[in-house]
Amino acid sequence: MEAELQTHIAFHLTGRRRGGQIESLDELRLLPLPFAGYRNLAELRYDFPLVLFADGADEVPVQSLSGLIDSLLQEVAQGPDGQRLRRHGLRLEQEIRAVASGTSGRVTLRTHWDAAASRLAGHGEEPLQDSLRRLRAALKRDGEVVDCDEDMPFRLLRHIWAVLRDRNARKARDTIDELAIKLSDILAAEFVRTDEGLSPEWLKAGMGSSHQNAFDFAVMSRLLSQAAPKTPLPEGRRRRIRWLLSVLTSQRFFPASKGSDAPTAAPYEFVFESCAEAVDAFRARLPEMTELAKALAMAELEVEGRYNEAKHDRLFDDFASNGLSPQELALFPDYLVLARPDEIPAALNAFAVGLPAKVLVQSDDLLQSSALAGDGLALALGTKHLATTAVGLSAVFVLQSSSSGLMRLRDQILRGFAYPGPALFNVFSGASAGAGALPPYLIAAAAAEARVFPTFVYDPSAGPDLASRFQAQMNPQSEADWPLQEFAYEDEQRQRICERLPFTLIDFVACDRRYARHFACVPRTKWNGSMVPVSEFLGPQPAPSEKVPCLLMVDDENVLQKVIVDVKLIREARRCGEMWRGLQELGGIRNSHAMKLLAEERKAWAEQQQPTRSNGGGATMASAAPAATAAASAAVSEAAEAKPASDEPYIETARCSSCDECIQINSRMFAYDKNKQASIVDPDAGTYRQLVEAAENCQVAVIHPGKPRNPNEPGLEELLKRAEPFL
Amino acid sequence: MTIAATECLLRMYDERYGLEDYQGGVPRWCTGCGDNAILAAVQRLCRDENLRPEKMVFVSGIGCSSRFPHYMKSYGFHGIHGRALPIAEGIKMVRPDLHVFVNTGDGDCCSIGAAHWIHAIRYNMNMTVMLHDNQIYGLTKMQASPTSPKGLKSNTTPRGAYLDGLQPLTVTLGVQNVSFVAQAVDWIPELLYDILSAAFHHKGFSFVRILQRCPEWLPNLFDPWMKDPQRLLLLHGEGGLRISPALSKAYQNQQQHDPSDLNRARELASVIDPIPVGILYRNTDVPCYEDLRRTGQPRSHDFIKAGLEAEFDKFTVWPQESGSRTTAA
Ligand SMILES: Cc1ncc(C[n+]2csc(CCOP(=O)(O)OP(=O)(O)O)c2C)c(N)n1
Ligand code: SF4
Ligand code: SF4
Ligand SMILES: [Mg+2]
Repeated sequence: MEAELQTHIAFHLTGRRRGGQIESLDELRLLPLPFAGYRNLAELRYDFPLVLFADGADEVPVQSLSGLIDSLLQEVAQGPDGQRLRRHGLRLEQEIRAVASGTSGRVTLRTHWDAAASRLAGHGEEPLQDSLRRLRAALKRDGEVVDCDEDMPFRLLRHIWAVLRDRNARKARDTIDELAIKLSDILAAEFVRTDEGLSPEWLKAGMGSSHQNAFDFAVMSRLLSQAAPKTPLPEGRRRRIRWLLSVLTSQRFFPASKGSDAPTAAPYEFVFESCAEAVDAFRARLPEMTELAKALAMAELEVEGRYNEAKHDRLFDDFASNGLSPQELALFPDYLVLARPDEIPAALNAFAVGLPAKVLVQSDDLLQSSALAGDGLALALGTKHLATTAVGLSAVFVLQSSSSGLMRLRDQILRGFAYPGPALFNVFSGASAGAGALPPYLIAAAAAEARVFPTFVYDPSAGPDLASRFQAQMNPQSEADWPLQEFAYEDEQRQRICERLPFTLIDFVACDRRYARHFACVPRTKWNGSMVPVSEFLGPQPAPSEKVPCLLMVDDENVLQKVIVDVKLIREARRCGEMWRGLQELGGIRNSHAMKLLAEERKAWAEQQQPTRSNGGGATMASAAPAATAAASAAVSEAAEAKPASDEPYIETARCSSCDECIQINSRMFAYDKNKQASIVDPDAGTYRQLVEAAENCQVAVIHPGKPRNPNEPGLEELLKRAEPFL
Repeated sequence: MTIAATECLLRMYDERYGLEDYQGGVPRWCTGCGDNAILAAVQRLCRDENLRPEKMVFVSGIGCSSRFPHYMKSYGFHGIHGRALPIAEGIKMVRPDLHVFVNTGDGDCCSIGAAHWIHAIRYNMNMTVMLHDNQIYGLTKMQASPTSPKGLKSNTTPRGAYLDGLQPLTVTLGVQNVSFVAQAVDWIPELLYDILSAAFHHKGFSFVRILQRCPEWLPNLFDPWMKDPQRLLLLHGEGGLRISPALSKAYQNQQQHDPSDLNRARELASVIDPIPVGILYRNTDVPCYEDLRRTGQPRSHDFIKAGLEAEFDKFTVWPQESGSRTTAA
């Protein structure tokens, strides 16, 4: 017993196997326990494969197969046979998944679908045939099917980028074409007034051949020439329009629209494999970009007839002397760089010089041993670094995710591409060299689960502060240090045992053959009480003495094995845990500042509660109420119009309906204001009789004649009587 | 896509327009006519929105009210009787950049133009429609119109109109795709302005029925309502009008109304007394026909020419063809 423990502890501390009680992992092909249920992915329902839709103007550019089937069923499986359709739909989905996982290359959904359907139909009865027919009829879109493999992240992001780029390009192209047409129209309208445009030959050419003999084009030309206005297009404007047209029609940023036969130069390429190349291209094109942006702005003014040389010439001479604004840059396509992890510094540099790029950095192997790390793990130290860098850069959209989680981040990815600034997507593909036969999806998911490659999004367009910009809560059990997973297994006595175990970096590393030497398998007969779960070594407390950390693994027959982990991996796992804590802080999860503040507030609140229970609150409320009412009534009285004394004639101007009656009676006495509403501008400019008549005629009875100003005016007595209703 | 720099430049050099910049010919309406109030409110709106005169078009049919375009210093189309709406639709279709306004009378819209009216509601094209409802044919000197109240004596109904008047609001609210319906009276300028402003800002077919006085032929028609503020029912609330404190004091008969409630809007629309004033219905989700039909295809010279040729070809009689046939026979 003693000797056994010694051997175990020795391995744990040194990583060296001495004595025969423990076995190397190399030959054993063990899997960490949590993987036991995922040996055959094609039988499970999960996010992959994806369908990259080729069509669909404004629809989502990508959907998971399961999501697609769900939406088809939503549409089709409604009636009394809905249950059956649903069952068959799910069977079909599974079959498609199996077909897809067995093929490589670019295959469309319809091809896979038909292959899967015919496989099913082979042993299918009539209801199945009916279900398959109806589901197929409901399938409206098609596109390439992509499984979660090494190429997936590139293909997925490139696809989304291209779809959005095409949408924007189409809009930009339409704007450019439309402006060009309107500019040409100005020149064309001018041409028909020139001598050439009014020549008999030209007029004749404009008339259908069958009726040409009915006209005398020489006379027509003479008459039209006499009538044509003699104000030609100013030469400056003509030159400007020509220049605008030449810039608009020779640009290479947007491909020519479909159906256009205008000759255009080959459009620029915007996809690059390194940031340096993209920066070079961007720099080289900058003068043309500036020219096009300027031409667009000028052309918009020009076609509206609002280009004013005196005002605008100077401004456009100095156009973009401070560089293009973000809005102007946003007119142009973004550059897409598909790069490897060592490009991250180059990407950050490129962003700093203003490259409007979306950069995808894809890592395939997180456990590659690097020269720097020597014998150790070149682990994703980058993660935390990238997260804090993102926050520091503040204007760069950053998304990090394992490929397994990309589909669930679809909306965020779309936001990243739509973001009017640079974006960095850091993706781990799971296609790792040491994974053996394990599918990339599983490795990628394990990296996310084990906090080795946690998910986060930093979206500068989501709000002004970190809390709205930084998200990490999409990680599994994001509140916890490590996600706990429940496992059920049978022990030696065939008793079912349920355990909740944390999934950590060590589980992740245990899938990688290259790291087998950090593990040693203990034969079942040698198991003892000193072998404790790994998690006991990962907490804040010091490592327990006389104990060795053990991982549960399974062999090909799903028999449970216990594996000792060496101290180096424990150290790496602790480091990984710390990085995760840092990320949690950024994401506002168990944020230490917030928790400290909360504790203080709680304490203060508790103290305040002690002496006076429910005093203060009610009193303040009560005193606030009358103040509010007073303010409201003040507002009302302020808004009510001030009435002059009834001796003075006046008009309730705001109620005047501009009907002209009073103005017709005396336009020096009554006049409209800037709102075309009447008031009395000079009560002495007319008689009291006119005031009374106006009051009587006023359609909305808003004229008040007041008292007579001239006591000698004839007929006053009668007028005063008539004025009474209007006082 | 408007280029950011252009926006800036335009704002820098934007002209500010005054009321007089929108005043066209001197109105030939009778003094006291309610059309004057509508004209003043529209000119105020144009000024406050700083609309460029060359970016607006007023379209009308025939009638006193249809003289409106002459009095606006902007583009205008004084059309033919009952056909204001189809003309306006055509304009909006090819010039979606223009603000389209329609002025139509109760005879013009609800009588000879009724079919166009119904379909225009369904098309829901973005325009502001003012129905000047004086409940009479004004221009032709006092014949009953479809909206004339039962019993109204006119040159065509000397013994009084036999039928109840047609209610333009209930008709409008009954048509598919209706998206904005309001009612105003010409004698409360502030409300008239607010309602027209809401109609202008709504994207879609904004239909505003304005009860309009015709002092020439029906001098006392609206007296009972003008004299008794209680006989107007002011609709207000979230999504509708906000009524100023001063107006609130004068018109105390008010009701909260949610303009997204179509059923309630229909109930209110059939109330004749008190007259409901305000926004009865608004739905911003109804698509506009001009947007549905927009292809995005820029219309170049050649494109238009090819389209026209194709249309004309459908009706062309080819002299050679018929000639050869004759010779053969
Ligand atoms: C096709 C045709 N039919 C009849 C007329 C005669 N007409 C001219 S205006 C009018 C009615 C106008 O009434 P309304 O539309 O209410 O306008 P208001 O004058 O009341 O503003 C009629 C019938 C006409 N001009 N054209
Ligand atoms: S008569 Fe009355 S409504 Fe008409 S313009 Fe004069 S004040 Fe205004
Ligand atoms: S007849 Fe009536 S509607 Fe026509 S202008 Fe005169 S008052 Fe106005
Ligand atoms: Mg009328």
